[in-house]
Amino acid sequence: MSSLGGAPWYILEFGDELVYFTPYTTTLLILALVFTVLALVSRPERQVEALFGTDAIYAKDTTVDQMRFRRFMAIACGCASMGAVVTGDLFNFTLFVALVGITNVGIVAAVKNRHVQNAAFQYGLVALTATVPLFAGAGIVAATTGTLSIVALASGTVPQAPFFARALLCLGVVGEGMAPFYAAKAEMFRAPGAPYVIMCSLSSLLIFLRVAEVVMVI
Amino acid sequence: MIEALFAAVLGGLLLLGLHRKVIARVQQRPGPPVWQEVLHTLKFSFKSTWVPETASPGLFVGIVLVAIGIWTAALAVVLAGGSILIIFGVYMLHKIVEHGFGLSSGSPYGKFGAVRSVISAASEIPLFVSVAAIAVFTGSLAISDIVAYQAVNGPLLIIAPPAAFAMYLVILSKMPFSPFAIVEGKELVSGYKTEHFGVWRAGLEVANAIKTSVLLGLFLLLFLGPLSPFAFVVAIVILLVSLSFVCAVTPMLAPFDSVTIQALVTVVMLGYLVLLGVIP
Repeated sequence: MSSLGGAPWYILEFGDELVYFTPYTTTLLILALVFTVLALVSRPERQVEALFGTDAIYAKDTTVDQMRFRRFMAIACGCASMGAVVTGDLFNFTLFVALVGITNVGIVAAVKNRHVQNAAFQYGLVALTATVPLFAGAGIVAATTGTLSIVALASGTVPQAPFFARALLCLGVVGEGMAPFYAAKAEMFRAPGAPYVIMCSLSSLLIFLRVAEVVMVI
Repeated sequence: MIEALFAAVLGGLLLLGLHRKVIARVQQRPGPPVWQEVLHTLKFSFKSTWVPETASPGLFVGIVLVAIGIWTAALAVVLAGGSILIIFGVYMLHKIVEHGFGLSSGSPYGKFGAVRSVISAASEIPLFVSVAAIAVFTGSLAISDIVAYQAVNGPLLIIAPPAAFAMYLVILSKMPFSPFAIVEGKELVSGYKTEHFGVWRAGLEVANAIKTSVLLGLFLLLFLGPLSPFAFVVAIVILLVSLSFVCAVTPMLAPFDSVTIQALVTVVMLGYLVLLGVIP
């Protein structure tokens, strides 16, 4: 099954590396682009919270320095996501996914709040550990098939990638995109910055969607 | 496409109105008229509109356009018989949209609705399993190929009932008042959409209408195959009434229970994929 996301509309060649635009990858690319632009043009919201034990409420503000850094990280994250969803090379895919993981840590860790920093630290540990199965998966694919080109792997002209390698790839991507699942503890939402936090969730979702296609075709 | 979009919006709003009506009748209440959601949307379209002082203005407004945009794209994919992987992507992105709606306002109610939307991401995994099972039988993920396969081999509802059940659960989790609708729990006022009112709320209602039309229509195309227009309308109403009945007799689950049940369904579906030989 070589065309899960539809027939390619356009293939951009960089030597033996391909960037290909199927309806599926183009849809994901456009979404990454739209949310990157939103992160670029949006100012953070001012979260309203109640003061515990009283009936007072207050709105949190974001410092300019913090906003600039988180915005930079969100844009970098958007660019990495765009690369991950259109690349036709498995190793480039793993690199972009690792970059998504790093920038997600950056978006969360920029907030000077003990609870948010704690969430960033825990997420960083998971993202760091996840690079092992991620790159191991790509390495095993290269060793067993002799290529890292997703297009070549999907064409059926080379042996199919082992199930174990595909499982490692999935595990690595889940680890790198783990940030939104820390939402269960709500710590990363203590700080205002919706446009940037959304980029964490979106980038994770996009790499999950792309790896679903990749492991089904290789 | 414009006619189809208009039909999807109007049809979706009427289906959501019927959903409320059926729930009310099952619970022995008179309920609102079926066209109530159409009136709601019109009412919100003409109410005064502004952006809350604490909101992130760009995101607060932009996310409404994204919501309408992604479901319009999904409708176009369904009409063109494109890949269900794209619909799968749009469905998952709806979580990000809910997330954006909730976080952009600065309201604590919206924020917790947004957090719950991420937690309930477990509801998407059965959809992926359903997609994989369909691919096993039909050898394609293009909606046009899947419909053609059923024209020859019979409905997938009979060939692969667990996949149909998984997709049914996914649609159920997106219906208002469903046991899995934790993002709109009344303890959060209106959850992620609490602060969006006026034209922004009307835009959200339009997006929800298209979403309802797309998901229900897609279920019929994927599991019943080609139908005449009349049979399609009858089938979509029957499907909706069955969903409404489940919503009417089932209380909303606690967030933890909701995720647990969806995760358990996913485990069962993964077992089904092992039986099919997708997972060695």
